Amino acid sequence: MNFRHVWIVFSKEVKDILRDKKTIITSIVVPMIIIPLLSMIAGGSVQNMQNDIEQNVTIGLTQESNTAHIRELIKSYIIADFPNINLIDIEDPIEAINDSKVRIVLGVEENYKEKLEQGEPFVIEIIYDKSQTKSEGSMHIVSNAINQFNKKVIVQRLEKMGIDDKILKPVEIEQTNIADDEKTSLSMLAMILPIMIVILISAGGTAPATDLVAGEKERNTFEPLLTTKAGRSSLLIGKYLTVTLFSFVSAIASIFGMFLGYIIAPESITMGTGTQLSGFSLPGAAILMILIISVLMGMTFAGIQIALSTYAKSFREAQTYLSFLIIIAMIPGYATILMPPNEMPLYMFIVPILNTISAFKIVLGLNINYTYLTIALASSVVYVIISLKIAVTLFNKEKVLFRS
Amino acid sequence: MTLGGCVSKLIRVEHITKQFGAFAAVKELSFEVEKGEIFGLLGENGAGKTTTLRMLATMLRPTKGTAIMAGFDIMKDPEKVRSKIGILFGGETGLYDRLSCEENIAYFGHLNDMSRDKIDDRVKTMAKVFGMEEYIKRRAGKLSKGMKQKVAFARAIIHDPDIMLFDEPTSGLDVSAIRDVHEFIRTCKKDGKTIVFSSHTMSEVEKLCDRIAIINKGELVEKGKIEELKNKYSCDNLEDIFIRLVGVKSEF
Ligand SMILES: Nc1ncnc2c1ncn2[C@@H]1O[C@H](COP(=O)(O)OP(=O)(O)OP(=O)(O)O)[C@@H](O)[C@H]1O
Ligand SMILES: [Mg+2]
Repeated sequence: MNFRHVWIVFSKEVKDILRDKKTIITSIVVPMIIIPLLSMIAGGSVQNMQNDIEQNVTIGLTQESNTAHIRELIKSYIIADFPNINLIDIEDPIEAINDSKVRIVLGVEENYKEKLEQGEPFVIEIIYDKSQTKSEGSMHIVSNAINQFNKKVIVQRLEKMGIDDKILKPVEIEQTNIADDEKTSLSMLAMILPIMIVILISAGGTAPATDLVAGEKERNTFEPLLTTKAGRSSLLIGKYLTVTLFSFVSAIASIFGMFLGYIIAPESITMGTGTQLSGFSLPGAAILMILIISVLMGMTFAGIQIALSTYAKSFREAQTYLSFLIIIAMIPGYATILMPPNEMPLYMFIVPILNTISAFKIVLGLNINYTYLTIALASSVVYVIISLKIAVTLFNKEKVLFRS
Repeated sequence: MTLGGCVSKLIRVEHITKQFGAFAAVKELSFEVEKGEIFGLLGENGAGKTTTLRMLATMLRPTKGTAIMAGFDIMKDPEKVRSKIGILFGGETGLYDRLSCEENIAYFGHLNDMSRDKIDDRVKTMAKVFGMEEYIKRRAGKLSKGMKQKVAFARAIIHDPDIMLFDEPTSGLDVSAIRDVHEFIRTCKKDGKTIVFSSHTMSEVEKLCDRIAIINKGELVEKGKIEELKNKYSCDNLEDIFIRLVGVKSEF
């Protein structure tokens, strides 16, 4: 191998690809814009929906209970402390719900006042539509308002009888959630980010890898190239480095895109889970390790992609193989998406691809174990060597190189 | 063999054999080419022409035998051999569409260890010779077929190789493109290059070649100057000789 030749090949290939608008768009612009955009739209609409359900609860009254007294009861007592609930005048309750005019219709017993004064229970019927997300979602908000009213009445009654309302609460429940906001949002990231990284890295190298060997064969530029002074290994390494570079360019572009999305709309990055990212407190050494591990994974992909592109009989065939590779690469990520970072078994840090995903998970899940990270790093180095060996071997095999 | 003889034989192919599994594509082929000569390899489809030329260009490794190209052994010194040869394989020669003509040519110059100045110089000269000055800075993808072909010629000889290998360079081309290729081959000869050229078109072989070898099913059937062969078989038509030789062999 001759480093000068490697450099000549590498710089020519990079220049060539940079002039290809299609590759630039798929490997840089798309991940940088589409991914944050998608998560913003997805996150935004979930968030909006949730906001809407909580903020604009509209209720109406059945015709029988639409009296001045009952309206007074609802407005001044039941929903007085709930500015998010609005009473609206309606004609037909069922129609109003169906037309989304109101989400909930209440039917209140006419003689509620006497019953209330006598200490008898009276009935409020809640009419809602379980098939409408907003109607169903408003149900608990309205019930909650009614319960609050119940409590207030009870307190008043007990007071009248001279009894402390403490008597109604033998036990008080206190909840302590040890996951702070940061940890919750990080574990969301721990689920999504590793899969995104794997997909983007494998996808980013696809177009260059296809073009650089299979494309070169199909264009008839391959044979002249093989008869230059540059040896085959130099040609291969130059091409391999180009593919590695572009895997990374697209991974970095998409991470940059996510970062941009976070600056523009912070809630987007957590995909609408409602938690906020506040200053990360990930240790630098751990971040460095997962970055190196993902670089190594990119190199492994580059080796396999170049090997497949060499093996393919045509450009089309290479495209098919490489798309298939992306799908295979997605499996380990999806298979372990719900696995909590603190339960990842050791073998997962050795299996290719899965080792990168696991490393990301434990770091982003704040469950950092440096032994495991080191194992993932070491196994990644081994896979880089193996995939490069495969690529070099195939590239030097005349049987493969001159297949047709 | 005298020392002078050695030097004038720029290509010496010795019992070269290529086996693909159990199938022998080229069998014990031997021939020599003098410096400055155009040597034709004649054979039907599948005769082993491309395989032979690929071995001479060090793309394929012979199973047996070897060849000495411009003083270097293809088995022992493939890199040195490559620095002495240029190739034009097939009719449709590809370029990198997104690179300019100049960049296309220069890439191969760099890979042959030429200096930047030397490359610039050569490109300028060749642009003049081939009439490419007008479009030399344009992207190759935007050019006509004829223009692309000239760029491919220039690319093949950027490093001023002693030997040129042509594998059916006119297959699939139209009449004017074929003329350009023939013109290019003559230019190479004028520049003192030694040329091996494969074809199954008798007329172009007859027009261009000094000496020929006829191969059939990977084996050498006959070789010599075209005139000598015509005398030997007392036949004035190369095509008839070819059919006779190839036909006779395949009846065995
Ligand atoms: N890589 C390979 N693997 C197996 N067989 C091969 C390979 N390359 C060529 N062959 C076989 O070797 C024989 C000679 O092929 P070659 O391409 O050298 O013939 P050719 O004279 O160039 O023919 P054409 O005029 O069709 O180009 C053919 O039968 C071909 O099928
Ligand atoms: Mg051929």
